[in-house]
Order: sequence, then C-alpha cells, then structure tokens
Amino acid sequence: MTPLSHYLIFSALLFSIGLGGAIMRRNVLVVLMCLELMLTGANVALVAFSRAQGLEGIPVYDAQVLALFVMAIAAAEVAVGLSLIVAMFRARRGVESTSLTSLKD
Amino acid sequence: MSTPNLISAAYTWGQFTPSFVLVGLALLILLTDAFLPRLNKQLFPLVGSLVTATLACFTAGSSASALFTTLACAATAVCLLMAYDYRSVVSASVAGGNHEDGVAEFSALPLLACAGVCSLIRSRDLIMLFVSLETVTLASYAMAGYFRRNQGSVEAGVKYLILGAVSTGLMIMGAAWFFGTTGTFMGDTRFLLAALSNPYLSAGVLISVGLLLAGVFFKAGAIPMHTWIPDVYQGAPTPVSAFLAVVSKLAGFAALLIILLPLIYLQSTVSDMLSSLISVLAVVAAGTLLVGNLGAIPQQNTKRLLGYSSIGQAGFILVFFISLKPTIVGPVFNYLLAYGIATLMAFAALATLRMQRGSEELSAFRGLGKTNPRTSFLITVSFASLAGVPLTAGFLAKLSSFQALVSTINLPHHIIYWLLPIMIICAAAGFYYYFKVLRFMYWEKPEQNDTPVHFSPVCIAILTIGTLLLLVLGVTPLIF
Repeated sequence: MTPLSHYLIFSALLFSIGLGGAIMRRNVLVVLMCLELMLTGANVALVAFSRAQGLEGIPVYDAQVLALFVMAIAAAEVAVGLSLIVAMFRARRGVESTSLTSLKD
Repeated sequence: MSTPNLISAAYTWGQFTPSFVLVGLALLILLTDAFLPRLNKQLFPLVGSLVTATLACFTAGSSASALFTTLACAATAVCLLMAYDYRSVVSASVAGGNHEDGVAEFSALPLLACAGVCSLIRSRDLIMLFVSLETVTLASYAMAGYFRRNQGSVEAGVKYLILGAVSTGLMIMGAAWFFGTTGTFMGDTRFLLAALSNPYLSAGVLISVGLLLAGVFFKAGAIPMHTWIPDVYQGAPTPVSAFLAVVSKLAGFAALLIILLPLIYLQSTVSDMLSSLISVLAVVAAGTLLVGNLGAIPQQNTKRLLGYSSIGQAGFILVFFISLKPTIVGPVFNYLLAYGIATLMAFAALATLRMQRGSEELSAFRGLGKTNPRTSFLITVSFASLAGVPLTAGFLAKLSSFQALVSTINLPHHIIYWLLPIMIICAAAGFYYYFKVLRFMYWEKPEQNDTPVHFSPVCIAILTIGTLLLLVLGVTPLIF
C-alpha cells in the first residue's frame, strides 16, 4: 500500500504549482486554472488523511464530505470567475492581468 | 482515543432559521423577477431590507452568536436600503438604459451573502465554517463586479476573485492538515490537546492553524492579505463597498473567533505553542495598524480612504486577540458595532454625493457645512466616531482596545512595549485623515454653481439613526 507521505508530497506539489502559477502567470484564465490546481492539491490531502485517520480500512468520511463540498465550491467559483472574465474581455479586449491598472494609489 | 463527536450532533435545524429565511427570500425575489416582469422592481430591495431588519429584531439576544447575527442582518438591511437609493446608477450601469434589469439580482446577492454570515456565526466545525465563508465570498465576487459596463467595477471583481480564491486554497489546505493532525474538524479541545502534546504532530497543527488564519485574515482585512481592500472598495458599487466593509469584515472576525477560541481555552496547558501564536498575532496587528493608518494619509478618493481605514480599524480589533482570553468576544463585538455604524453612515453619505456631484473624491464634500448644515453635522459624527472622539461609540471601542493591550503588561512576552507606541501613532494618524473630510466640509468654500445636495429621506434616516446610536453608545456602552 502506498504510504501516506507519498500522497502528501503529491498534494503539496500540486498545491505549490497552483500557488506559483496563480502568483506568476499574467493571463487571468491561466490564473483561474492554477487556482483550481490549488484546490485539487488540498482535496488530495483531504482524501489521503481521511484514509489515514480511519480504523481497519474504514476511512473517516468527514474529510471526504469536505472534499465534495470543495469540488462544488470550485465549480461555483469557476462560474463566477468565467463570467467576470467575459465582462473583463468585453470592457478591455484582453484578459491580461497586467492591464488591470485603473484602480491604484 | 475515543472517536470524535459526530458533526451532525453539533447542530439543530432551528439554529439555521435565519439562513433558511434569507435563502428562501433571495430565491423568491429571483423567481418573481423572472415570472412577473411587469412588477415594479424597486420593491425588491425594500422587501429585502424589511425582512432582514425583521430578522435582526427576532434574532436579537444576549448570546454572542445572537449579537453577531443581529448586527449582520441589520447591516445588510442598511446596505439594501442604500441599494434602493442607488437604483438609478444600478440601472444605468447594468442595463445601460432606463429600464430596470438587474435590480432583482442586486438585491438577492446581499441576502445570500448574509445567509452565509448567519450560518458561519453558528458553525462549530471547519466544514460548516468553510462552506459558509465561501457562500459569503462567492456572492461578494458577483456583487463587486456587478457593474459590468464599468471598467473599475469589473477590475475590482477580477482582483477580488483571484486574491480571494488564493486565500480559499490556503484555507482548505489548512483544514486538510488540521484534520490530518487532530482527526477531527471540530474545535474539540481534547483532540487538539492530544495532537499538540505529540511532538510529531504539533508542527502540523501549527502549519494548519497558520494556513487557516491566512484565509480568515483575507476576509478580516489583515496583512499580508489586505491588498485587495483599497482596490475593491474603490471599484465596487458603493452599497457593495459598504457591505464588504461591514458584513464581510464581521464574518472574518467571527471566523477568527471560532478558530482561535478552542486554542484560547487550552492556553494554560500548551503555553509554548500559544506564545508563538501570540507573537504572530501581535506582528500582524502591528503591520495591519501601520499599513491601514499610514496608507490612508495620502488618499484623495473617499472610498479608498475608507478602505485603508477599514484595514486600520481591523488592526485595532486584532489587538484584542493578543490577550487571548475567552472574554474578548464582547469587546470585539462592541468594536465591530461602533465601526459598522459609522462606516455605513459614511458610505450612505458618499453614495448620495456620488450621484449628485458625480465624484467620489474628498473634494465632493466641499462646502457641505454651508449648503447642508444639518446633514454635515450627522456626517461629522460618523467620521468623529471612526477617529475616536470622546462621547462617540468609536472612542470607547478604541479605549477598550488599548485596555486589552495594557492588561497584558504582566505577561512575559513584553509585546506592549513596542505595540503601544504603534497604536498611539496610528490613532493619531486616524485623527488626521478622518478630519480631512471634515476640513473639506467646513473650511472649503462651496464652488460658484454648487447647489445644496438633496439627501433622500432614506439616506437622512440612515444618518440620523446612526448618529443617535453612536452618541448613545458613546455615553452608555453595552456591557458584557
């Protein structure tokens, strides 16, 4: 059986790729994908911990319930995010985050 | 170790009545808008604010959760009234014409967000906390970017979405590690203690609490997650900025209390872990105070100024958490109440000025003392309370924040010696930038063609009731 640490390293990798991309990429669509990657990384950790905390092969389902909620919320976030990106494209003819400069000190 | 308590045993359906009512009302408004297109759409914000105000009366009580729910519902009612007042701008910015598309959604979204806040206040485990917080946040993204023909509003929505989703990711990772180390999502002190006393697990608990705090700091507007606040407040529609400044901030601090209170109860047993947590909180509070109050000084845009001011005020609230006592709930609520009333008044006045003078700069307040002497007095009380002038509620709130810090003087960490000077500097800076508004009202002369600003009855009512509350709470504070 795969040890818990492998899952956790995988989840941390996904999470850091997502976080790094969200910080560094300029295209808002790609940033949105990276944000999804962060949530996926967290979900992997949740499910792995749910197995690890269980006794005799029965996982603690609390963490898997949260993973389901995270997926639902991620979907809602994408819906809101994409509609905002469409509005942004109509207003500016582009989805580069470098063009978001009308609000600043 | 026994198995953790079942999460479903922690709740009863009755606790969530306010949330059910609000969600039901929001759906009803959306359906009515779709199936009865001839109905006068201005009814929606009025009905929404009536129902939230009624809920605020019904949920009132002396327990902490009842107080927070009442404040959240009342503030939402005021924001909806402001949205009613703001209807001409809403129709023009959404539909681009005179017809009233988009008014219904604009009044349903705050109701959904308020439903999230109501269930967040009653949550006792991280699943409920996370889902409620996301309900608030997702509704807020849509509200911030609501004026889709307005570049500033869309930019505010996109910025809020990206930064908010990063903090959501951090928070959910924190929840995963919290579960991994303690075996439960509840703030159950027994399991927390077991994990903390295990040398292999305590680092994991620290990481998880840190990640959770990062997510909550985003909502509460503390450094290093504060960067969205000035931009989003400036770009979002004014009633939405007011909602974010009051209700969303209240949600952030309620979540902070829910996460930290179990640790606070454990204080005596795991003091070395808590001392590192206290240092982190102290540094965050100091940074938030400095960034908010010093950043507000050069601002010329009133909404941006109020944004920085809300960061600064969050710093004063965070100071309460340094003392880490179970009794901080009362003072934190008192501070949020004083801050919330004054901020709602400031945004209500600003929304009217924005519609009539077409500007959100500080100069829009020019000469109001001459043209509208009575209303300027009401606005003066609001800004005086934000600055902390004696005889207003803001003064007592700031005073209790200083008291909370002074009460830690006997503790070994000596935070008071460097934090107290920072607090004094920041309170003084507050007087400077809040009084800039008053300077424009009383010292600047009105321009040649400036007519008296017509404040609508709704706006006058908000300002008058707010002033009365601030003055009454300034001499007879709520006692906990």
